[in-house]
Parts: sequence; structure tokens; C-alpha cells
Amino acid sequence: MTDRPPTPLETLRQARDIGREEGLRYIYIGNVPEEEGGQDTVCPGCDRVLIHRHGFGGITNYVQEDHCPDCGTSIAGVGMNERARRSKQQENRPLLQDPPERRGRDVMEKEIGLIVNPVAGMGGSVGLKGTDEDMHKKARELGARPVTPKSTKEFLEHIERKDGIKLLVAPGVMGEQYVRALDIPFVVIGEIGKETSAEDTRRIARRMVESGAELLVFVGGDGTARDVYDAIGSRIPVVAVPAGVKIFSSVFAVTARAAAEMVDAFVEGIGFKEEEVLDIDEEAFREDRLASRLYGYLVVPEVRRFLQPGKEASSVSRSSVESKEEIAAHVVEEMDPETLYLLGPGTTLKTIADKMGLAKTLLGVDAVHAGELRGRDLNEKGILILLGKYEKRKVVVTPIGGNGFIFGRGSKPFTPEVIKKIGRKNIIVVGTRDKVSRLDCLRVDTGDIGVDEMLSGYLKVTVGYREGLMVKVRC
Amino acid sequence: MNEVPYSLPQNIIEAAQRGLGKLNRYADPGELKRLRGLLAEYSGVPDRHILLSQGSDLLLRELICPFSKGRNVVTVSPSFFPTVEAVKQFATERLSIRLSPPMFDLSLELLMDMLEVPTLLILDNPNNPTGKMLLERRMVEAIAEHGKVLLVVDEAYYEFSKTTFADMVADYPRLAVIRTMDKAFGLAGARVGYAIVGEAFLNVFSSFYSLLSRPSLYAAIEALKHPEYMKENVRRTIAERERLRRALHDLGSCVYPSSANFLLIKSEIPDVVRRLGELGVLVSDISSQLPLGFARVSIGTRGENDTFIVQYREACRTCD
Repeated sequence: MTDRPPTPLETLRQARDIGREEGLRYIYIGNVPEEEGGQDTVCPGCDRVLIHRHGFGGITNYVQEDHCPDCGTSIAGVGMNERARRSKQQENRPLLQDPPERRGRDVMEKEIGLIVNPVAGMGGSVGLKGTDEDMHKKARELGARPVTPKSTKEFLEHIERKDGIKLLVAPGVMGEQYVRALDIPFVVIGEIGKETSAEDTRRIARRMVESGAELLVFVGGDGTARDVYDAIGSRIPVVAVPAGVKIFSSVFAVTARAAAEMVDAFVEGIGFKEEEVLDIDEEAFREDRLASRLYGYLVVPEVRRFLQPGKEASSVSRSSVESKEEIAAHVVEEMDPETLYLLGPGTTLKTIADKMGLAKTLLGVDAVHAGELRGRDLNEKGILILLGKYEKRKVVVTPIGGNGFIFGRGSKPFTPEVIKKIGRKNIIVVGTRDKVSRLDCLRVDTGDIGVDEMLSGYLKVTVGYREGLMVKVRC
Repeated sequence: MNEVPYSLPQNIIEAAQRGLGKLNRYADPGELKRLRGLLAEYSGVPDRHILLSQGSDLLLRELICPFSKGRNVVTVSPSFFPTVEAVKQFATERLSIRLSPPMFDLSLELLMDMLEVPTLLILDNPNNPTGKMLLERRMVEAIAEHGKVLLVVDEAYYEFSKTTFADMVADYPRLAVIRTMDKAFGLAGARVGYAIVGEAFLNVFSSFYSLLSRPSLYAAIEALKHPEYMKENVRRTIAERERLRRALHDLGSCVYPSSANFLLIKSEIPDVVRRLGELGVLVSDISSQLPLGFARVSIGTRGENDTFIVQYREACRTCD
């Protein structure tokens, strides 16, 4: 249907008006730019905005106790009084810290959670490469100083839309101490002991989501990202402020300042994208070996920066969702019905399966043949059995952002034996242009030198529809 | 934007001003012919191999549009951004070769493997934004002898690299070289681009006739009649480029060798483009084409480069 022009806004408005005249009380227009208006649900009594929609899926609900806050018209709908109940609970909390002059302002403010991992990054200056588990104690003994205060302060300092947010902060060193001096209303969530732990991060993150946080900001490293992922998954979007030793997960903003920019963008209302959380084996990293695995995805605000007007801001720039769709369209079109396809982990691969109408696991290896799923979340054994059944077989993988691993020691199901059986020419690599452009090269570390060597040289990465990039593989 | 920072000699400004007095008229065909003749002489080829256009990026588009039909279009990545754009717009089968740090070199072996189907190959030499020379004469011979390939070499920075394949077009009909007077001749605001093309391109472009504006036309003719200032521009720019390279190297930044009038740096400063921007220094953000930390720095005047060094040092200091 791409040969048809978009439905004019005027037609959509007409349709809405007809619906209204016929008695539909909560009709609104979807899938149009926010600035065009009409996306909000308005009160059938007084036309006040009741549900404000922004970006993809951003929602602010103004309904109070099932009624319009202005004219009191009764509003139908499931869960319409949930938010109101929540706000009431918070008002009763003794820890509410709204400066008096800010009290009673309308509920346009976005509620944003903040969790600081006070021990993240401490290993760096003393050469420890990470502070997972009890390593931070060792770091402290070696004279390490925490690095999170600087990142946290820099982040908070650079938020420009301080007027548009209300913070839900973790207690003490995990957040509260940084916001006391600032002119931002805040509420403290949860309790902590003298020593903080990963469990604190997980518990408080969950509590924040339950308390109505619309966005969660965390300051830390890859380990903190994993804790947040475990606690909240993609229930609400996050902003990750880097303050670790070595940060590999692409979920992190480039700098604390860039993280502040993402918060501002969130307040303004924009789109979102998924970014990787990696499981870096710190034990291996201390031995100068990089073993990483895709651990999961968190959702972050998508800020598109056009620093150089005219030249770089152009039709080439696409959202990550559009790029993945384009890649999926290409891969699906090229698929041969007689070949078995093993789809590796990642959102790009999931987009391919979605395009075929198949429910793929996000982090597992799934098998597809003739448009049907032949196996989900396969391990090495499962893959080898399938390889025995099909004569023609291909593997589709995407590199991990930042370090470019297509086959690392972490990607368990694709063992050297599996890769040997598949053969180099049957490996299809896909990845968005944005992600691939940021890699020095592709990497492999299968644990078998012979296989690594077989994989070295150039591989074609599909980065768009009929668009490939030849990238060198290093081992 | 990699312009030359030095102002133009008076005679060229006066020539452009003469053009202003005749803005009610299209450029005179005789004068266009004269410019083609001067460019042919400058490039060491017969007149008929020269095509004129308003800027080399437009010429690249003019070449990519018709010649990408039924061909694979092969480029390198990173590359000159308007080329990337035009390829994305016109070509249906696109393949690029990733130039990997730290060497950014182009593998002839890989390239030859990719040329088994009809291909339009576009390479910038030196490459923008790395400043790296991708091609040498024997590589061009190998590629241009390949029956299925049309080779377009973008030599926008030829005067700085002092390496050209323009003289080969008479022997290799499937070779085209793109040049500009925007850079070394300091005529960025005039937009005079030209191509030196082999027979295979000439057939398609036989009716191609691009008019230039009168001020641009007169300025270009005057510049080619008295090119000494251009050589001085080049000499000063290269001297400054090497001075800046040493200074940045001493500040701990990774600086790559360059054959153009810009430097590619890899900085340890997080978000370097923005930090420098806040200090009033604009460098090119190439984060859409290379890993984080890379930036392209145009060579300015001695004073401008000094300012850059001071601000870069400041950015280093404040990021710790």
C-alpha cells in the first residue's frame, strides 16, 4: 500500500467529527504527528484533555476518580481511577518533599525515578575492571574513590526541563543526597541499609514502577543495567547514565550530559527504541578476555541529533525501527523455502520473525523453515538435531553493539561445532547501519582457533533493503 | 566544510565583479568553451573529456543517476556524504566496503571479488573523512581493465594529495575523475566542479551542457590563468596541517595521516564534537559513519588553528 498517499489529516478529522456526532464519546485520531493535534482523548462534557498521547505510546492520564478534573463529568473506562489513587497515596507519604511554592501545580509533571549505584566504576582507577559482587570492597581497600557522584551531579545539572519533572529517588547515597539541594520536587522511595547491594537496586526499581514512575534513570555500569533489566524489563523506558569501569551495553547514554538531554526529550514527548544490555563476564574481562552475551533489552527515549544542519541531517537518517523493518523486508524476500534458517538473538532478528508472522524468542536461537517455526530457544543439541534433518541451512546473526561480536563465547548455542557444520558462506549477518557504522570491525571468539580463523576476512552485513556493507572480521 | 580559509587575490574578485555586471545574460558559450580548454590544459587531457557543473557533488549525482541502473553500486564507508546520499537515492543494489581503523585501507583482493557483476564503483581518493589515499595507479589499471566496471574517482582534494589518474581517461574509457575548484582554488562560494571522463561516459553525456553563473565562470577562468595563489594556498595548508597534527598528537589525541586539507582525529574526550562546539570550535560530526570519538577537523589559518589547539587542551582538561 506504499503506492497510496497518506490519508489527509482533514479526512481523519472529519471521521472523528462524524463519530462524535453519532455519539462516540472518547474518539481520537491515532498515528499522526503530535503537533497536528487530535491525538488526545477529551472530556465529552467540557473538551478538556483527559488523556494526552505523545510519541509512540507515551500517555498522560488526567482523569481523577473516574471523573473529569475540571467539570466533573463521569468518565468510563477500566483503570481510570488508578493514577488518582496513586497520587493520593503519595500525598499521604510523610517523605513528600515538594517545596511549598510548587505544591498544587498541575499534574503535567513527569514522574521520573532515579537510582544511583554508589559503587559502580570504583574498580577503574585501581585496575580492577568492574565491581560485581564483592569486588567493590577490594577496590575501596585499594583506595578507590566513587565515580558516581560526579556523573550524577553532571546529569542533574544539565537537565533543562527541571520544571517538567518530579523525581522518585532512592534513599541516601542511592539518589536522595544528590537532589536535596536542587529545585526539583521529589519523593524518596524504599529503604536501604548501610551497605547497598544489587538487591536494593532491583527492589527499589520495582517499587518505583509501582509508584507510577514513567521513566527510570539509573547511574551505574553494565551490572546496574542488568539489575534494572531483571527488575523492570521494558515496563517503562529508562535513561542510563554511564559511571562504570568499562561500559559495553548500548543502553547507556554517551555521557551524563547526553543522558540529561534524553530526559529533556522525554519530557517533550518523543519516540523510543530498544537498546542492548550486555552480560560481560567480569572474571574473564579481568583476564583481558572479552566474553559478552546479549542479556536483554531496555527501552530508551530516541533522541535524533542533527548537529550539522543540512549535510548530515538527511534522508539517510532513519529511526532504528525503520532500519530494522527495511533489513527484515530484505532478508524475508531473499529467503529460500527449502533452507532451514537459524535466527540468533536480538531485536533485529525478532523483527525478521515478526515480518513472517512468527513469535520468536528475543534472546534465544529459533529455527525457521518454509515459513514455520521448527524450534524455539534451541541449545547446541537441539540445533545439531535440526542440522541433521535439513540439507540446506543458514544462520542469521547480528553483531553486539559496541564490540561487534557475532559469535562470542557467550553465545552458547552457536558452538564451534555448529558453526563448522553451517559453513562460512551460509552465515548471514544483519545490523542497522547506525550500529554497524560504530564498530571498528566484526569480532569472533568461539573458543576454537580453527573456527575463528575460518570466520576471519570480510563478511557482508545487510544494513538495509538491498544494501550491504563489507566488514572485516577479526579474531 | 574543508574550505580554504585564505581570501582570494584581487584579480579574481574583480573578474567575478565583471560577471555581476552581466547577470541579465546566460554565460557565453565561447567563454564556457574557454574554461573547458583551461581545465583540459590544467588536467593534461583533450578538451572533449571535460564536463562542467555547478559543484562536484552535483556532477556525482549526474553520474550516479543514469549509471546505477542495472548495476551494483559499490562505495566505501565512510565516504563523502553527498555521494552516500545520492547512492541511497538512485541505486537499487548498494554495497559498500567498510574502511576499518587504524589503517582505513582498501583491499584490492576483496574489491576484485566484488566486481563480477556490472558495477559502478565510486571511490574518493583521498578518502573523506579519513584523508587516506585508497588507490594507486596499478589498482586503477586493474579495476579499469575490468570489463564490467565503471570507475569514478573523486579527486576533490587532488591539489593537496598531488596524485591524479586524470591522464588515464584517454586509455581507459570506463574511468571518470571528478574534481572541483571549491577547495585548493578557494572558490567554494562559486561552485565550479568538473569531470574528466572516458569514452564510455562521454556517449551518455554528449548532450550534457551545464551553464555556470557569470561571476563563477569569470572567477574560474581568472584563477586558472594565474594559479600561483592556489599553489600558495596548498603550501600553507599542508604546513599548517602538519603543525596541527603534531600538536594534537602531543595532546594525546590519535591523529591519522592525511593527504587532504583536513585531519581525522580519534579523541578520548567524551562527546568531543559537542564539547568543542560549546567552546566555540566547530568540527565535523561523523558519528553516523565511524565509531564514537572520531571527528574531522578542517585546517584553518594559523590563528584559527592556534585557537583550536588552546580549546582542545581546555576540553581535555575539563573532561577529567
